[in-house]
Amino acid sequence: MTNVAKRLLEFRDRTAIAGVGYTPFTRNSGVSTLTLACRAVLAALEDAGLTPDDVDGLATHRVGDSAPPTLVGPALGLADLSWHLDQFGGGSVSHAVVGQAALAVAAGMAETVVCYRAINARSEFRMGGTGRGVPASPEVQYQAPYGFFAPPQQYAMYARAHMLKYGTKAEHFGQLAVTQRANAAKNPRALMRTPITLEDYLASRWIAEPFRLLDCCLETDGACAVVVTTRERARDLRRPPVSISAAAWGGGTSHLSGAAADPTVTAAAALAPRLYAQAGLGPGDIDVAELYDCFTYSVIVQLEDYGFCAKGEGGPYVASGATSPAGELPVNTHGGFLSEGYVHGMNHIAEAVSQLRGEAGDRQARGAEVALSTAQPGYILPATSALILRRA
Amino acid sequence: MYRPEPDRDSRQWWERLAGGEFAVQECDACATVRFPPRAFCPACRTEAWRWRAVEPEGTVESWIVNHQPFMPGFQVPYVVVMVRPATVPGCLVYGGWRGERPPEPGERVRAVRIRVDEELSLVDWIPAETSERADIHPFDRKSSH
Ligand SMILES: [Zn+2]
Repeated sequence: MTNVAKRLLEFRDRTAIAGVGYTPFTRNSGVSTLTLACRAVLAALEDAGLTPDDVDGLATHRVGDSAPPTLVGPALGLADLSWHLDQFGGGSVSHAVVGQAALAVAAGMAETVVCYRAINARSEFRMGGTGRGVPASPEVQYQAPYGFFAPPQQYAMYARAHMLKYGTKAEHFGQLAVTQRANAAKNPRALMRTPITLEDYLASRWIAEPFRLLDCCLETDGACAVVVTTRERARDLRRPPVSISAAAWGGGTSHLSGAAADPTVTAAAALAPRLYAQAGLGPGDIDVAELYDCFTYSVIVQLEDYGFCAKGEGGPYVASGATSPAGELPVNTHGGFLSEGYVHGMNHIAEAVSQLRGEAGDRQARGAEVALSTAQPGYILPATSALILRRA
Repeated sequence: MYRPEPDRDSRQWWERLAGGEFAVQECDACATVRFPPRAFCPACRTEAWRWRAVEPEGTVESWIVNHQPFMPGFQVPYVVVMVRPATVPGCLVYGGWRGERPPEPGERVRAVRIRVDEELSLVDWIPAETSERADIHPFDRKSSH
């Protein structure tokens, strides 16, 4: 084993998530992202039994759509943060933010870091792309002239490639949407709690074929935050600690116009072995998975690329019921971005913490000791990120 | 419609396209071809390269039929195809679909030049076997070597 790998193992379970906090999820918060961020940060600290005076680090990610730590810190009277991170990027870096906070804590740069994501993704900066200008990226010039730039379009393109190559069916996507809605029905926080059927899914209007409306996540106003500290310190705090067993980011695969060997494989395929090795675990050890569901298809491809089933078998794996609450791998127990709300990744991490604490109420997965939570699997940026968390 | 904004890496590519040539970069050192335009060869990390006009052909890897009006100026529904160019197989390009029927998986397609104005042409795609049509214009097939 290389020295780097050995040092990485020292990182395993050194840090923990000691608190989670939310604002309500709505379609129009009526307040600024700065206000949302402050509310979620304070809620997470309250959950942990800490106060703002305990905070010495703040971290977020954004795409020019939200309040950075340099605004949130002063707004909460935090005069001297010893560490902060303002990561550029969307869903694919969401879990890297918490991973980097864990590194800062493990290295002693900070002791208590609050990671947050605050967005008005429906009332201000529409995340789905409708009515919004094209993003600033050198890549856009080769796609936007053809009316192709919005995330639902990009994911629909890759979803069809998967359907063509592996026989993945609309019904597989539909089953995920139906199951996640049923999960959301048991989640008081969820925006969409009315159960749907496969017929409802199939009857929902086209957005970009092969995607229907019910393949797409919600555009949500809201914020979510988690408190990262050392595992030792977390043990003395109010709530059952959840340790960070592994945090990884990278993967390097993009499906923009540049090099892309196979559009049915995501950055998660490269990242997963590193992630599991860091935790000393494999896919079979994961009890519950919160998989980035910007669209139904992204769950299917991640089930494959994180090793829960063979490549191409994601659809049949879902059809088998494996990802339902009673299955071997309950997925998106809160309803996910499709039905709980879309806070760009952070609400997946917070749900994993609730599950591992055993506090998820009617939607609690049985015997949840180890959870996988993942970021956007890298189709749009050439990177993804993920965490393995465990009951400490 | 959305007018592309060429950057310092891509300006010449757009100029060649406007002149009726479909070109990719070819590395002087290792002959690797690449798209989109970038200063460095990702295979050997050197900067010297030349333009190479290529047959604008490929195969259909996927497509969408877009219904949501994400962008003003586009009549919905419309089809966008993802094509793997025969000359740069490690790469995927996107464009509008000009076929008179829907695309088929893996089918051979060729590029057609959509002349927007003097300074701008775009690339759409049609089935390779499409015969001459008044409304579509091929790219020049002569090499610029
Ligand atoms: Zn080269």
